[in-house]
Amino acid sequence: MNLLLVEDDLELARSVIGGFRDQHDDIDHAGDGASGLRMASSGAYQVVILDRMLPHMDGLTVVKRMRSLSIMTPVIYLTTMGGIDDRVHGLEAGGDDYLVKPFAFVELLARVRVLARRPAIAQDAATRLRVGAIEMDLVARSAQRGGKALELLPQEFRLLEYLMRNANRVVTRKMLLEKVWDMHFDPHTSVVESHISRLRAKLNEYADTELIQTVRGTGYKLLAPP
Amino acid sequence: MRRHSVSSYRFLNTRVLKTESFRLAALFAVLFLGFAAVLFTAVFLIVDDMQTQELLTTIDADLNTVRNGYLKEGVPEAIEVVQQRLGVSDKAPARRPESYVLLQGPNRVKLAGNLPVLQPQTGIVSLPAPSDAGSRVDSKPSTVLGKGEFLDAETYLFVGRDTASVAATRARILNAFAWLTAITIILATLGGVFFSVQFLRRLDAITRTCNGIMQGRFDDRIALRGSGDELDRLSQAINSMLDRIAALLDNLRQTSSDVAHDLRTPLTHLRQRLEDARTNSASVADYSSAVTRAIGDTDEILSIFTALLRISQIEAGTRQATFAPFSLSDLLERLFETYLPVAEDHGDTLRRAIEPNVVIHGDAELLLQLFSNLLENAIHHTPSGTVIAIELKAVDALAVASVGDNGPGVSAAEREKVFRRFYRVVSSRSAPGNGLGLALAAAIAALHRTRIELADNHPGLRASLALTI
Repeated sequence: MNLLLVEDDLELARSVIGGFRDQHDDIDHAGDGASGLRMASSGAYQVVILDRMLPHMDGLTVVKRMRSLSIMTPVIYLTTMGGIDDRVHGLEAGGDDYLVKPFAFVELLARVRVLARRPAIAQDAATRLRVGAIEMDLVARSAQRGGKALELLPQEFRLLEYLMRNANRVVTRKMLLEKVWDMHFDPHTSVVESHISRLRAKLNEYADTELIQTVRGTGYKLLAPP
Repeated sequence: MRRHSVSSYRFLNTRVLKTESFRLAALFAVLFLGFAAVLFTAVFLIVDDMQTQELLTTIDADLNTVRNGYLKEGVPEAIEVVQQRLGVSDKAPARRPESYVLLQGPNRVKLAGNLPVLQPQTGIVSLPAPSDAGSRVDSKPSTVLGKGEFLDAETYLFVGRDTASVAATRARILNAFAWLTAITIILATLGGVFFSVQFLRRLDAITRTCNGIMQGRFDDRIALRGSGDELDRLSQAINSMLDRIAALLDNLRQTSSDVAHDLRTPLTHLRQRLEDARTNSASVADYSSAVTRAIGDTDEILSIFTALLRISQIEAGTRQATFAPFSLSDLLERLFETYLPVAEDHGDTLRRAIEPNVVIHGDAELLLQLFSNLLENAIHHTPSGTVIAIELKAVDALAVASVGDNGPGVSAAEREKVFRRFYRVVSSRSAPGNGLGLALAAAIAALHRTRIELADNHPGLRASLALTI
């Protein structure tokens, strides 16, 4: 992947850059908003990782300028502004995801991977998804594995859909809470784990290959056959 | 005494005269006087004109009488009429006469009358009254208004009347106007001062309260008169503002003391753990597990921190701006579906009785968190096998939502305390959570202008919340 990190905290920047280089990703760094915007304007990046409070030009302005220049590169904010409204404002300005500092690197990695895969223009035109033997009809709200229908509850359907859209990529518990359950807080219960185990049981009712892999300490991954 | 009067004089001088009420009183006085001046001028002119007309009418009548005598029987008859008209004896009249007549022959020879000879003038003539005409010493110089005409080529007749009565009426009107002006000015000044002093006194009370607040007496409030006038309403608004500020200040104090005290404990643990690791770790595996646990501690500290900030942010009340209508029924259905497997995994039974299509005005994201917290409490703080029920009922204009369980419940004494930050019921200290869940829920309820009621569920605990539809 080719990434741009706009972050004025050099220590954090060094650690993030090191993390992505370990994953064999290319990552450029800008230390302030103005140069970040200049670099992002080249359109050469798959994802821009953007601090919100930056010297010279704040993150929201950077995103707004990018969008007005028709640079649709996905943007993930990395910010200390964890207020309830801050996320909403950030996304309204044209950002795509929001991660509050401090964060686990695996969380950032997973989110960047998901964003990078997303085409610049939203498609969603497809009404059917297929990952290996799992098929999903988004209009009829039905799913099947190996031709056998799966009886899914609405939330299990959404969970499976999200996993399928991000097949072969790690999705974290936090991402699932946000995208599937709209929970932007940490429930002190095993909401994700309980639903995953129900979904697994339904997926494996007539098959015995485990498709949802647990990634220890990070989250889950729906395995797609190569 | 003297000082007092001097200071009150200056008080009047500097402040009372500058108040809006005084200015208004002055303005109204000026307006009233202007109006009165117009009115008096009109009255003055009309009365004056009427009196003059009346004089002229009587003069015309006298002229006619004399002229008729002359026309009938010539000059001697005219002289006769004049003398009769002047009251027979024209010798030394006791009073100043009111009518004047002069009949004058050729070469300015006075034929009859009580005026000295005149330069004959016809038409309406105004001339000074003869000074010897009256015996009153103090009489003011008066004016005679009259008409002159020639009876024939050489005989001139003048009839006039003293205008003293007209002048007296004028003087009376002017006098009345002067009095009115004086009384108006005095009343306006007194009224203005009275209202201004009242106004300033109440304003001073407000200022005193504000100064008190600035000096740290945050409980000071402005006394209301209960009249509901604009100052009362202003005072009420200021009082409400002060209440709000005091609440925010309290919240801030509480938050900072929470941060100071309650983050210290997990930080202490973290430090302890790291120190232990440095002293006692023998292998990379030891270090690695110590670091993992240290990260866990850090996450816990962060979650406390986030929860505290969230509570204070919610208590600040700015979220109300984002209130929108949404279906509480759908939210609770979703919540039921979300927590159904969680409760099952915990060995509990989750039930629901949710009235459909209950729409309320509020913050859906925060209410989701509130009900999640209530549900999590019910799941965590009860033994396995508990029945938990989510209910929603619309009662009149209220949506009453509740989460009830048949677990061990919370004693009446502890019910209020559980909403305090970091408070944990003794029996559940080992359950997960940081003791902030209910405090956060209470803050969210307060934002929606309601509160969470905890009641005995016979057995168990029932937490309910009434939201305005």
